[in-house]
Amino acid sequence: MLKLFLWLLFSILVTWVIGLSSVILIRYVLLRRPLSRKISILLATFFWVVNIVIFILLGSKSGTHVSLFIVYLISCYIYQTPNSIKVLLSNFISELYSCCYYINFFLWLRYLHKKKIVLLSVAAVALSSALLIVVASLFLGFIGAFEQSAVDAMGDIIIEPPVKLARYPEFIERLEREEVIKAATATLLSNGLLHLGQGNVRAVKIWGIQAGKRAKVTGLRRSLLRQKHLRFDPSFNVENAEDIPGGFIGIGVVTEPDEKSDEYDFDKALDMIGKYVVLTTGAVTETKSPTENNAKRFKRKPIKFAVVDIVFTGVYDLDKNFIYLSIDMLQKKIYPDRTDPIADQIQIKLADDASSADGLEAVRRVWSEFASQELGWSKYFISETVIITSKEMQSRYVSELRKQMGVLLLIFGVVSLSVVLLILCIFYMIVETRQKDIAIIKSCGTPSSSVALLFLGFGGFVGVIGSAFGVLFAYIITKNINAIEEWIRLVFGLKLWKSSVYMFSSIPNEIDWGSTLIIVLFAIVAAAMGALIPAIVAVQIKPVNILRYE
Amino acid sequence: MYKILLASRYLIKRRISYLAFLAVALCVFIVIVVMTVMIGLVSDFKEKNHSFAGDCVVGTDSLVGFAYYADFADEVAKLDFVESTSTVINTYGLINRSGTDVSRGVQIFGIDPKSHSLATGFGRTVHYHKDDISKVFVPAYDTNLPGCVLGIDMAMIRDLRGKYQFGQMPFNTKFSISCFPLTAKGALAKAGAGEINTKTFSYSDVSQSGLARIDSSLIYIPFEQAQLLCGMGGVDKRASRIHIKFKSDVRLGTGTNKVGALWRDYMRKNKDKAKANLFETVTVQTWKEHRRSFVAAMEKEQTVLTVMFSLVGITTVFIIFVVFYMIICHKSKDIGILKSIGVSNSGIIGLFSSFAVFLASLGSCMGVFGGWLFLRKINSIEDWLFARFGFQMWDRSIYAIGDIPNQIELRTVLVIIISAFAACLVGAIVPAWQGAKLRPVESLQVNQL
Repeated sequence: MLKLFLWLLFSILVTWVIGLSSVILIRYVLLRRPLSRKISILLATFFWVVNIVIFILLGSKSGTHVSLFIVYLISCYIYQTPNSIKVLLSNFISELYSCCYYINFFLWLRYLHKKKIVLLSVAAVALSSALLIVVASLFLGFIGAFEQSAVDAMGDIIIEPPVKLARYPEFIERLEREEVIKAATATLLSNGLLHLGQGNVRAVKIWGIQAGKRAKVTGLRRSLLRQKHLRFDPSFNVENAEDIPGGFIGIGVVTEPDEKSDEYDFDKALDMIGKYVVLTTGAVTETKSPTENNAKRFKRKPIKFAVVDIVFTGVYDLDKNFIYLSIDMLQKKIYPDRTDPIADQIQIKLADDASSADGLEAVRRVWSEFASQELGWSKYFISETVIITSKEMQSRYVSELRKQMGVLLLIFGVVSLSVVLLILCIFYMIVETRQKDIAIIKSCGTPSSSVALLFLGFGGFVGVIGSAFGVLFAYIITKNINAIEEWIRLVFGLKLWKSSVYMFSSIPNEIDWGSTLIIVLFAIVAAAMGALIPAIVAVQIKPVNILRYE
Repeated sequence: MYKILLASRYLIKRRISYLAFLAVALCVFIVIVVMTVMIGLVSDFKEKNHSFAGDCVVGTDSLVGFAYYADFADEVAKLDFVESTSTVINTYGLINRSGTDVSRGVQIFGIDPKSHSLATGFGRTVHYHKDDISKVFVPAYDTNLPGCVLGIDMAMIRDLRGKYQFGQMPFNTKFSISCFPLTAKGALAKAGAGEINTKTFSYSDVSQSGLARIDSSLIYIPFEQAQLLCGMGGVDKRASRIHIKFKSDVRLGTGTNKVGALWRDYMRKNKDKAKANLFETVTVQTWKEHRRSFVAAMEKEQTVLTVMFSLVGITTVFIIFVVFYMIICHKSKDIGILKSIGVSNSGIIGLFSSFAVFLASLGSCMGVFGGWLFLRKINSIEDWLFARFGFQMWDRSIYAIGDIPNQIELRTVLVIIISAFAACLVGAIVPAWQGAKLRPVESLQVNQL
């Protein structure tokens, strides 16, 4: 958040320094006299275009360049003003000072206190900003959880060659020699049918894994219901039955979440531990039959294994569809002819201080050397290997989610524009009923700009208070979103969030402070905009007309 | 009469009332557009689920199925309100495309294509055999093999506009499908050998139901083949479900209740048979109950969106309130004069209520008109945005959504208009009450004039 704030500050500074430096140079250093209206407009327009070009070249993605337009307006004024730079600056500072002058603040508080109707605008700003913050936080929380789930399931970087990767232990050893890489592990992928008991057959995805190493790369240990509390690495060892292979099963394979509460029956899942299940999988093997001309044929392989542990990641699809077996055992069963160890994927965990870019560079380098030197692969095969971060793997869906969030925020934002209308109405009413106040202030010598700033500032003040309440509401709602959802279920019997629909067992409940800051800024600007017309009306008030005795 | 005259005058003369009118129009416009799209999506999704399941489903989720289904299906077919029935085998299998190393788990439906098309919308979902659905399992190339119909997303990839590129004929591919044959008790029929049943099928057609999960993981094969693959053949043959279609004039609930009564009667009559225990898991459900877990999620999203818009709509009530408050502050003399000539408190409230109704009528009309205009062009706008900026509301290569729904429902419009009227009246009632309480002797004092 601090980074974002500093970046905003820097952007504003750069815009104004670049925008106004040429103007001040021309007006006060080169020409030293005020220019005519036409020449001022011409010069300002020229520099406006130049500034837009400069900012586009600097990488600005703004579609409107509104701030440069404001710079243009101020440039026009500076070119024409007869005031010296000293007067110009002192005027600016005095306007700024008068804006913050205690009378303004006093009047704001007084209007807020006396004009109860202003509280409506505060409530409207609070409501709209709270809604927008909650929507943005939930969406971004969901996106964050979505990306993190990929990291937890597959590590930071994934290598997926176009064909099975042989001699992976050597490759992993090379990878782990790199400073930026903390650990790496291999995975063999397959699909199968799992018979869990009477009439219970499931289609499952099989991950052949190195249990101990995988726990270092992914969040496997945290997901294991039985072994997560043990001090040693997770393993597939079956107690008292060394000849029977062991396996982990996703909790959703064993039991469905409860229809009403959406919670798994953990006792029922744990009861499966120690039981034997039958898995059917297979692979393509070459047949020796002369009638089939030594054709490649898919051969089924049954595997009987004991359930050693249950995996609960909180991600529905992972829990529902996956089972985990030892990579060595799986290879022996489905590829009995392959003597060297093979894998479909290598999953990598980066060192804590390593960046994704550094990690990707190191992995690509090691892979290229290993594939060409040790495996003798051609450049084509090496380049066909997918080396990607797990977050990048999700980028297509993430961008779609971001787009939907943008559309929803746009819709709510447009509806929230009625807040501007509301503030306009209320402030207009205040100006109409407080004409005498304004006339007295003006008769004491307050310039019109200060009167305008009084109302614009009050609009902003309403925006600040409203958005502060909005942030508070949004924080309370977002942090307690799971409790609220549960309350709705208990009271109305309506289960809004289901892991089978929204992937995760619980609703992400973190406030996104970056988007909150943007929404708050928008709310303040919108509130100030709502006060613009009433401020103009206030400026036009003539004390001589209002303060007449008759 | 004075109520209408004064209300019209306030509406025209007081420019501030334009803001209230604008706020109502904006809200009505947004709500009409969003709710029409959302309701359209939900209705479309429901319709696709209805088409997939038929009107009523008698069956079990257990992969063992239930026995003696044929007699019951015959009895159901004889009912005067039933149009057609289809018996289905539902199981899971492992599929492998010939010559590749890739296998995957899929859901398998064993059907009789003709009867299934009559009971459900299956016939409309296939591409190559739309005209003669009975030949949907006849492959174009290897006619010795039984055919299989793949969910379209298993065979083809959607382009960026959500369209599929179909060839003249389905490509020449074979798939081997394996299933666990199960005994009536749910045990593995070939447990001793540790084997499963495998059969090769030739790809004969695709089915595009428009339901993403179905289209990406369901394969249709002939009923008898499915029965053999999963061990449901033999003496007491078993099936998983009977899909039923009612005649058009039959209400869903009534028809399902009658089928339910018939099923209970059938169970009673056959309770002594050897495999009668399999009846215990059989349920009789309407299509809505059968597909509840899928449809309910979208309905809930619609509810949440409605609640969120109601919250935003509160701002409109605030605007109306403020505008009326202002008008009443300015028109205290009008109110004083009206009351001094004998207009009652209810008359004053009536006057401002009429004004609120005027505002609501105009705002609603404008909002509805704007919404209608926007919805009429919404797909063209999206096409233009896609062509110009590559922007789509939904990425069609990810979501199984066609055009953006833009059919305005009269019921939705009426509910929105009534809500707008209610919001205007709620916003106006407090200021109107305050206006009614004004005393002419105070508002008409000479120093107030």
